[in-house]
Amino acid sequence: MTDHQGYRELAAPFALDALTVAERAAFEAHLAECAICRADVQAFREVAGALAYAAPAAALPAELRDRVLREARHVRPLAGRRTVGPWLAAAAALVLAVAAGYGYWWERAARDELSAALVAMRARLDSADRLVGAILDSTVGTADLAATGKAPTMRLYWNRARGLVVVAAFDLPPAPAGRTYQLWAIKKGQAPVSVGTFNTLPGGRAVITLQMPAGFKPDLSAVTEEPAGGSAQPTQQPFLVGAWQGG
Amino acid sequence: MASQSDRALVERMTAGDDRALAELYDRHASTLYALAVAIARERADAEEIVADALGQAWRTAAQFDPGRGSVAAWLATITRTRALDLVRARGRRALALERAAGQSSEGLAAPLAAAGEAPDRGVERLEARQLVGRSLAELPEPQRRVIELAYFGGLTQTEIAAELQEPLGTVKTRMRAGMEKLRGSLAQLLSREGP
Repeated sequence: MTDHQGYRELAAPFALDALTVAERAAFEAHLAECAICRADVQAFREVAGALAYAAPAAALPAELRDRVLREARHVRPLAGRRTVGPWLAAAAALVLAVAAGYGYWWERAARDELSAALVAMRARLDSADRLVGAILDSTVGTADLAATGKAPTMRLYWNRARGLVVVAAFDLPPAPAGRTYQLWAIKKGQAPVSVGTFNTLPGGRAVITLQMPAGFKPDLSAVTEEPAGGSAQPTQQPFLVGAWQGG
Repeated sequence: MASQSDRALVERMTAGDDRALAELYDRHASTLYALAVAIARERADAEEIVADALGQAWRTAAQFDPGRGSVAAWLATITRTRALDLVRARGRRALALERAAGQSSEGLAAPLAAAGEAPDRGVERLEARQLVGRSLAELPEPQRRVIELAYFGGLTQTEIAAELQEPLGTVKTRMRAGMEKLRGSLAQLLSREGP
């Protein structure tokens, strides 16, 4: 309560998608408990939506309509039935519930903040001692990510006390030029949240420390290949998926 | 036939009715395309963005949640996100970011008025454009600028403060004040849009 005024300042930038990942996570936790801020966000989000009308008018290309309709005819809308294949094998209900719940305003994962966080975390965890410390802590949960029984594989260690995720990858060739791997945390009823991007060494190995978004407690993690810099939401089906255990 | 609400169209899309998508396109594509151009600048990119965004709306229509806002706002959010992603993936800055951050104090609203209105199918949308453009133009320039940098430039408050070399607290205050004013001046539009 005492912090309400501080939080209230965040409603406008939240609706404008102008908070850092950490600020947004903190504010979302507050939103769950604060009807005043929820009302603010609702109103400001409509204002933000209307800002699209402020874009300078541009003549719509005539052929675009046919293109949109043509492409749509090749894809069925997701309706809670069949859809995206292997992604769903593990994460079906979660992904379908994604936009219904936290939805489209979650869409922008702020690549820049994540990259900055990644750099900061790399610097902080430079020494092997600290890495080992992170893995051996009593609060650590693990997730084994696999691609239908064959290489590559990946083990994740999530140190809840420190909010760190240590990624250990095996037999995973480095991403092609201009591409990167991206780790996602998935919680039931919410959109996948980016944990960060990474790449492997030529030998297919990597041990990297990323930061779990504050307060986020995922059920699953998954890995996709994305354009360099990562994506706001997965643009393809993950090739590695696994559930979080213990900790 | 009485025109259906946007929401009813989205409902029909979940059943795979592509005529509903066509209708939604006719209502919103010009706004979405203008938004994509404002962010990505290249027309070919903007076409890609709008096609992708409407494809996403088509596929995920079942996930549209009216509790979170109007269909127009939903479509704009998807389009804006895709446009900013594309710009970032190309290592560029959003067009609007350069304009809004640059020497010009005109911001984005001025070119809107100066460029004149492109042919627009809907009178309501034309009114919306005019109202939003005018409301933005009436904001004190520093308030308008931080809002444009956030929405069209994709910057966080912290990045805006760095961009403008202003204290973060100043940016926060301006953003809040500007959004409050827009909330007032757009109230009529927003209540009409409804679900």
